[in-house]
Amino acid sequence: MSAIRFTTKLKSALGISLLLACLTVMGGSFRTDTAHQTGTVAATQSLPGVVALALDAASSPVVFSHAIVARDALGFPVGVRRSGKHVQDKFQNLEYDEVDELDASGRPISMTQIDGSGHLRVAVRLDESPRPSTRIARDPALGIAQRGAISAGLTVAGTAQIDADGATDGWTVRWSRTQNGIDVRGDETRVQVRPDGHIQSLARVEHELASEPTQRIKADRAKEIVARQSDSWFAATGSGYTIEKMDVQWVGPNGAFDATKPIDPQPVYRLAWVANVKPSGDASKYLWMVTLYVDAGDGSILGGDFVE
Amino acid sequence: MKRARLLLVSALIAASTIASTAPGALAQQAQVRSNSDGFSVACLGFTDTYPQQLYSLAVSQMSRLGYAIANSSIGASFTGNAFLSTVAPAYAVYVHSHGDNYWATSGYPRVDSGFLQDPGKSRCNNSSDIVRSSSIKTVTAGGPFNLVIMSTCFLGSDNSTMPGAFQIEKTKLSPQPEFYLSYVGHVYDSSMLRFEQAFWSYINSGNPNYTLWGAFTYANSIGGYAYPSASDPFMPNWWGSATYNGRPIARTNG
Repeated sequence: MSAIRFTTKLKSALGISLLLACLTVMGGSFRTDTAHQTGTVAATQSLPGVVALALDAASSPVVFSHAIVARDALGFPVGVRRSGKHVQDKFQNLEYDEVDELDASGRPISMTQIDGSGHLRVAVRLDESPRPSTRIARDPALGIAQRGAISAGLTVAGTAQIDADGATDGWTVRWSRTQNGIDVRGDETRVQVRPDGHIQSLARVEHELASEPTQRIKADRAKEIVARQSDSWFAATGSGYTIEKMDVQWVGPNGAFDATKPIDPQPVYRLAWVANVKPSGDASKYLWMVTLYVDAGDGSILGGDFVE
Repeated sequence: MKRARLLLVSALIAASTIASTAPGALAQQAQVRSNSDGFSVACLGFTDTYPQQLYSLAVSQMSRLGYAIANSSIGASFTGNAFLSTVAPAYAVYVHSHGDNYWATSGYPRVDSGFLQDPGKSRCNNSSDIVRSSSIKTVTAGGPFNLVIMSTCFLGSDNSTMPGAFQIEKTKLSPQPEFYLSYVGHVYDSSMLRFEQAFWSYINSGNPNYTLWGAFTYANSIGGYAYPSASDPFMPNWWGSATYNGRPIARTNG
């Protein structure tokens, strides 16, 4: 082999190796997911936690029309064009379709997400909010939130909780979900109202519920279980505690007290006695509250939550 | 000629790949810290795994946003001294711990917000572990920061002095590329994780037109947050610029 041919082959091999190495490195950052490719897919992009497949209005007309209906029902501004994507959110184990309303510069001015059942998950305005010197009053804000939810096709019932929101200078209005009079922890219809009275966002969170246990343990029995568990935790640190509140709720079981189990809540909620336990003594300096879920049927610990 | 072009293209891709993926010396630095021993079995009777989850999330997502994670620690190596001695060159900071708006040493009504360093394996947190905003302000010496996230209770409330430690004014109309995020009241760990997952998933979804304010607004909109009581609702807050996309950029003041 001549020296020239050897050098040429070496350069080729080096070039191909470099290219392959680059593609390998880039592959770690941008994986291609083909599992959900359909005729509607125009492009793919993958990130840790989120996988998005582009959708277009021609091949996904239902998604886009649903987004437009929600946009108009909520009084969101109309953009010059829209872009869509199907999202696998691995952070939250969710899949949804999303439509962004874009201005002339390509900046999103609103976003609508539709869940796998075709229901509105969240709609949010992303254009800059005016910051008037006065905030719309509480009662008119509640009325606007209620009308917005209904016009977007959501049913809202029961007493709303309304809180001034420092982030928007507006209001957050929430209708907690109940099933046969029992709260479903975290499930809600939530509407945020801007200080000028326009709707900032609307969201609906709803989990699947397991069957109710045939027999519920009594409150006294549940309290004994909570006390036994709390004794074992707080005695070790020489701290005391008070059981502040106990009621029955639907909860997402999780591995809050078992580091070997996933902390993410299971998708199907179960009926539980929920107890708020406030530590006293040394533990109260770094732990404000522990919330414990006790299975309403068999008294097992289903997980819980903490306020550090 | 073809081979030369292949070599050139390969070299260019290699250079751009390395520049975009490696936390090299040119990238702006971020500091990520989490207290975990204060929430371990020795102090609580059980191990709270949220600090590890929040820490891992912040490290991966700050890096994806373009910052070089120059100083990060969870557990005993997250000391006040370690934080204070390395924070000045950072452009982005993330802390997960117990936080509060403590009285200043001069006493009521002056506030000097702070968070607790990790207590180490052999003890639990107490007031000697507070890393105060006044100490941070001293070491940051007027240098501005792009992105500061205090994943704690209370440091997003109106009387928090923590934004000022990083030269971030408590306005929502800042012309500077700066953004401060924290929570107003008591916050369940599960709510922090849900909020921060949504925040990072939005800002790192690959659209350069997305802003940190948009990410905050999206995460604040999705709902599903548990809260300790009706009078203590889940409430994140922010200050800074509504138009900043969070990517590290050169400082323009200070």
